[in-house]
Amino acid sequence: MNDFDTKWQACAARARQATHRDEQLPFGFATRVVAQATRPGAAPLEFAWDRLLARLLAGAVAVLLVCAAAELPHLRDAQPLKPGIENAVAQLVWSL
Amino acid sequence: MTATDGDLLRQVERARLGDPEASRSLVEALHPQVIRIVRSHLPVRAAEEDLAQEIFVKLFTRLDQYQARSSVPFEHWVSRLAVRTCLDALRAERRRPELRWSDLPEEQSAWLEFMLVDEAARPDTAPASARELLEKLLSQLPPDDRLVISLMDLEEQSVKEIAALTGWNIPLIKVRAFRARRKLRKLAETFKKENPHERL
Repeated sequence: MNDFDTKWQACAARARQATHRDEQLPFGFATRVVAQATRPGAAPLEFAWDRLLARLLAGAVAVLLVCAAAELPHLRDAQPLKPGIENAVAQLVWSL
Repeated sequence: MTATDGDLLRQVERARLGDPEASRSLVEALHPQVIRIVRSHLPVRAAEEDLAQEIFVKLFTRLDQYQARSSVPFEHWVSRLAVRTCLDALRAERRRPELRWSDLPEEQSAWLEFMLVDEAARPDTAPASARELLEKLLSQLPPDDRLVISLMDLEEQSVKEIAALTGWNIPLIKVRAFRARRKLRKLAETFKKENPHERL
């Protein structure tokens, strides 16, 4: 540790002794927060985006499961899939 | 788990069910913890009450995501949410305030002198002036650097604790802290060169 770092740490040690300011709850703060949080449509945009992504992901998983179920009967077939079905499934998977 | 933790979790459950009284109690119980984090990482032009309010609104909208049976205690989950929200606010701050030597009160310039000049004696000032100077210097750093130094040096958090709060991995935190300290030193030196008494 060089001299600047040592002295920085000394200054930080003194700074940590500073007493915390008043942490009292401002008047009406809790009521305002609860009113804002429970207001319809109060969810921030980021939260709405999270939910949309979760639904999209669930949809994608559902489509993949349907595709897998469609493939299942053909797993033991010696014959390859009919080109029409094969292409449709491949396109669907790649488009996801 | 202590009785207080149990009470808090009961309030969380009731708040999830839409009980406004439980939600208000939750705000009252968590406010000291949240406001301490907000004050440590507040962007210069932001109001601490607005940022605290934003954190609580996020908390209630994401309350369903908290798993009571997970290994993360509820207070820790709240701290993480608060730190992440403060970091977003710091990143959103477009311009950092300009810092001039002439703007520093005598007590703060004495601390800066102490850090940069070999023979300078350690100032015997009130802790608040040391804290204000460090906050002014930290406000000149990029948000991620500011956060990591503030958590390490002002709040004495370990690297593991910082990793849990920020979601960053341990090597990243160490590298970020190292670079941030180097930037701070350069910043203080540049700042001192601008001191009108230094130029004479």
